[in-house]
Amino acid sequence: MSKKNVKENKLNKINDLNNENITDMNNNSQEITPEKIDVSRFEWIGSNTTESETISRPSTSYWKDAMHRLRRNKAAMICLIIIGIIGILSIIIPIISPYTVSEQHVTHTYAKIGYTDPGDGHVHLFGTDSLGRDVFTRIWYGARISLFISFTAVFVNVIIGIIYGGIAGYIGGAVDNVMMRIIEIINGIPYLIIVILLMMIMPKGIMTIVVAYAAVAWTGMARLVRGQIMSLKQQDYVVAAKVMGAKPSRIIGKHLLPNTFSVVIVHITLSIPSAIFTEAFLSYIGLGVPVPYASWGTLANEGRQLFQMYPHLLIIPAICISLTMLSFNLLGDGLRDALDPKLRR
Amino acid sequence: MNKVLEVNDLHVSFDTYAGEVKAVRGVTFELHEGEVLAIVGESGCGKSVTAQTIMKLNPMPPARIVSGEIQLAGKNIVKATEKEMMNIRGKDVSMIFQDPMTCLNPTMQVGKQLTEAIRHHQNLSKEAAHKEALRLLELVNIPNVKQRAKQYPHEFSGGMRQRVMIAMALSCAPKLLIADEPTTALDVTIQAQIMDLLQEIKEKTNTAIILITHDLGVVASMADRVAVMYAGKVVETGTAEEIFYRPSHPYTRALLKSLPTVEMDRSVRLVSIAGTPPDLLNPPVGCPFASRCEHAMKICIEEMPPQFDPSDNHQAACWLLHEDCPSKKDGGE
Amino acid sequence: MIKYIGKRLFYAALTLLALTALTFFMMRWLPGDPFIGEKAIPETTMKALNKKYGLDKPMLEQLFMYIGNVLKGDLGHSIHYNRPVNDIIAQAFPYSFDLGIRALIFATIMGVFLGIVAAVKRGTHWDTLTMLLAIIGVSVPSFIVGSLLQYFLGLRVYQIFDVRLFPITGWNTFASKILPSFALSFGSLATISRLMRTSMLDVLGQDYIKTAKSKGLSQKKIIWKHAVRNAIMPVITVLGPIAAAVLTGAFVIENIFSIPGMGRFFVLSIQAQDYTMISGTTLCYGAFLVIANLIVDLAYGFIDPRVKLTNVKE
Repeated sequence: MSKKNVKENKLNKINDLNNENITDMNNNSQEITPEKIDVSRFEWIGSNTTESETISRPSTSYWKDAMHRLRRNKAAMICLIIIGIIGILSIIIPIISPYTVSEQHVTHTYAKIGYTDPGDGHVHLFGTDSLGRDVFTRIWYGARISLFISFTAVFVNVIIGIIYGGIAGYIGGAVDNVMMRIIEIINGIPYLIIVILLMMIMPKGIMTIVVAYAAVAWTGMARLVRGQIMSLKQQDYVVAAKVMGAKPSRIIGKHLLPNTFSVVIVHITLSIPSAIFTEAFLSYIGLGVPVPYASWGTLANEGRQLFQMYPHLLIIPAICISLTMLSFNLLGDGLRDALDPKLRR
Repeated sequence: MNKVLEVNDLHVSFDTYAGEVKAVRGVTFELHEGEVLAIVGESGCGKSVTAQTIMKLNPMPPARIVSGEIQLAGKNIVKATEKEMMNIRGKDVSMIFQDPMTCLNPTMQVGKQLTEAIRHHQNLSKEAAHKEALRLLELVNIPNVKQRAKQYPHEFSGGMRQRVMIAMALSCAPKLLIADEPTTALDVTIQAQIMDLLQEIKEKTNTAIILITHDLGVVASMADRVAVMYAGKVVETGTAEEIFYRPSHPYTRALLKSLPTVEMDRSVRLVSIAGTPPDLLNPPVGCPFASRCEHAMKICIEEMPPQFDPSDNHQAACWLLHEDCPSKKDGGE
Repeated sequence: MIKYIGKRLFYAALTLLALTALTFFMMRWLPGDPFIGEKAIPETTMKALNKKYGLDKPMLEQLFMYIGNVLKGDLGHSIHYNRPVNDIIAQAFPYSFDLGIRALIFATIMGVFLGIVAAVKRGTHWDTLTMLLAIIGVSVPSFIVGSLLQYFLGLRVYQIFDVRLFPITGWNTFASKILPSFALSFGSLATISRLMRTSMLDVLGQDYIKTAKSKGLSQKKIIWKHAVRNAIMPVITVLGPIAAAVLTGAFVIENIFSIPGMGRFFVLSIQAQDYTMISGTTLCYGAFLVIANLIVDLAYGFIDPRVKLTNVKE
């Protein structure tokens, strides 16, 4: 900082000097016959490569840099906040709500949004359904189920995907070929059909959806990890590590996996809306979570049957599903842009 | 000799989110018919930006011509509208790019890519344009032109593609041809062929050529004049002979010293230039090379040196050439 | 090229075989029983029924019988509807195909177009608007889009303005086809437009676009003659998965709009646990998708000259 000031002072002096000279000599072709310059200024100082080697911009680590970029992305940050709020509400509301999920109020069924019962003073923020159950409580209870299912399903996916893709990518050759053909065959069938078939043979329950979804959706993750490992394997620094005698476990753990981390994170974020969608879709065609539970999908399904009369019963869960999916999608986009600056548009 | 191009005190900046990157900071040069000017410098010195600005190929924004003027065939490029540029590009000035692998549209037949340019600028029928395309392909020494014209770029080798690029650039007999590192991406043997071809074309068509390169060997074989760029500025210009045998700027000298020659003894080590070029986000006030220059003086970091004339047809921006500089006598070599 | 087609055909056949076996075993392992109805069935009748449908034979024999029948083009007899599955599919398939193809074409054309607009007008309000629409399209499930469209454009417009702009259900007039087709295409449209935008931006940054510009071509010519054809490649590769998405999306769309297509029968047969019907429709879907993927692969070979060569080399 002080160095800069000194420089600036000097510069001012030089400018003054120049101006004086120009006015004195009244000479505008100074390039050809330069003004007299004090010899002291020609003092030799030599090269100073240390200064030019120092990087003038602050160097930040990859993750710090990525987080910085993410924080600049307003849409992604808003989505992160929305996801946070939905998460917190889904935990708190079912606890503090005066109603339970299946508590029925036969006296006021189909109540409208913001209904206050004149009789018992019950307040139903989002109204009630056909059995007089409080929609507000059910929505946040449903959020728990929907989010639990999608997070668990994606978690299972990621584990299977990383292991499968990692093995295929690391070993390569014939093993990789066979493993990829299996994926190709699975992908040849629409995943929803497989999920539906799986849902039908397993007993109804929350974990059934998780298992059915995870049994199919890991292929995307596996392909991604395999591709990453494949290309990383050929990178010079990995080859160098191998040449220096690093064990496979060290190469995988230290070089390959950490470098796939960013694509995995983006894929996770973008998989969650897909899992939410699947859960909602299954519930919507009547294969979702069994009756004592409620998820956003089952709420939407219940609402659909009545929505010509009571549209809010469909619209509220629909908004919840869409808003959550939207938030995760935008956050995923933001993360991708932040983690891979090359792809930044 | 007619003046084809005149670039005057050109300043080009890129507006990035980190700030204004001053890529070109006052570049001046001119070019006559049939003349070859080589612009030499290391990566990021602004040579390509200068060339692309002449055709206004830089996407604007983020690029921006801050000041200066470019006179090309009597037209001021800086003020030309996009519509006017469409008539200038390909007709008055055309360009050959660095990587022939990516410069041709992979999903369009080579012949079609040629006729497209021809028909855009000349009012020719489809057949006439096709004939002209075949003639051009023959001109750049491509065998079996009839068959070749129907092929796609991926069926051509790198050198062949660069020939196609040259044919395309020549399609409307431009007054100026800009070759932006035309041989960097090619094998050494192919490099020589392409340079020979450019030389041949120059002799046949009398086109002025700007040759952008960081390969001094390429420069020596072909250029009439050389401009050495460093950190967005032209630090030295002169005839090829002057630059190679009587370099005045320490940067030029360092560049030449880093070049191996056939006569060189194997025990002689090549000299590399220590340090890195300055960050053009905050370019230094003084000479940009000062921090890497072994002759650097106090004044060098304080003030940008003006252009001096060490001899006829030769300018260099270095304080060592100032008449008050005590080391001027021995600074020459 | 022939080898390439042969290879694709082989994988297609393998996929279908895997799917057939999968559906067969899953149906056999299902809990519940197709004959369970309102009243108990006497043991002898049960045995006769099992014999009639071949359910008393060993599992493997049943599987081979089943595959044999499928190869002969006989998908079995629907227990729930008491009709040959072939009949039901033949009756329902045209509706589903009509709906699916409309949605697919609309999604592709609009998606590509919006993607181009967004990429070319990058950073402007057009870009923001299209991409906002696209992210909503990706995030809002088709059954929600369908239900909301049906409610607002079908029902509310009729209630408020007393004009039947769009019928709520059915599949006969052109007007009745608009809402379901749009609802079904919306998500795919969004996916395609996002992909097209990214791909277009990528292509616009390529050197050959600079070459085209340096030839003096106009922006319009550069975009339509050079950029679009190259940018559309990745879009073509996702048309297979997009077709799958449209297909599964049709399950609910057909239900919401009461269209007598295969999706509706599929969902109803799931609820009725009608084995043969489920496996029949699943196979039909699978075959359809495999063919769609095959067409996409081949089309790609024709559009991109580079693919032809590499496959010949293979």
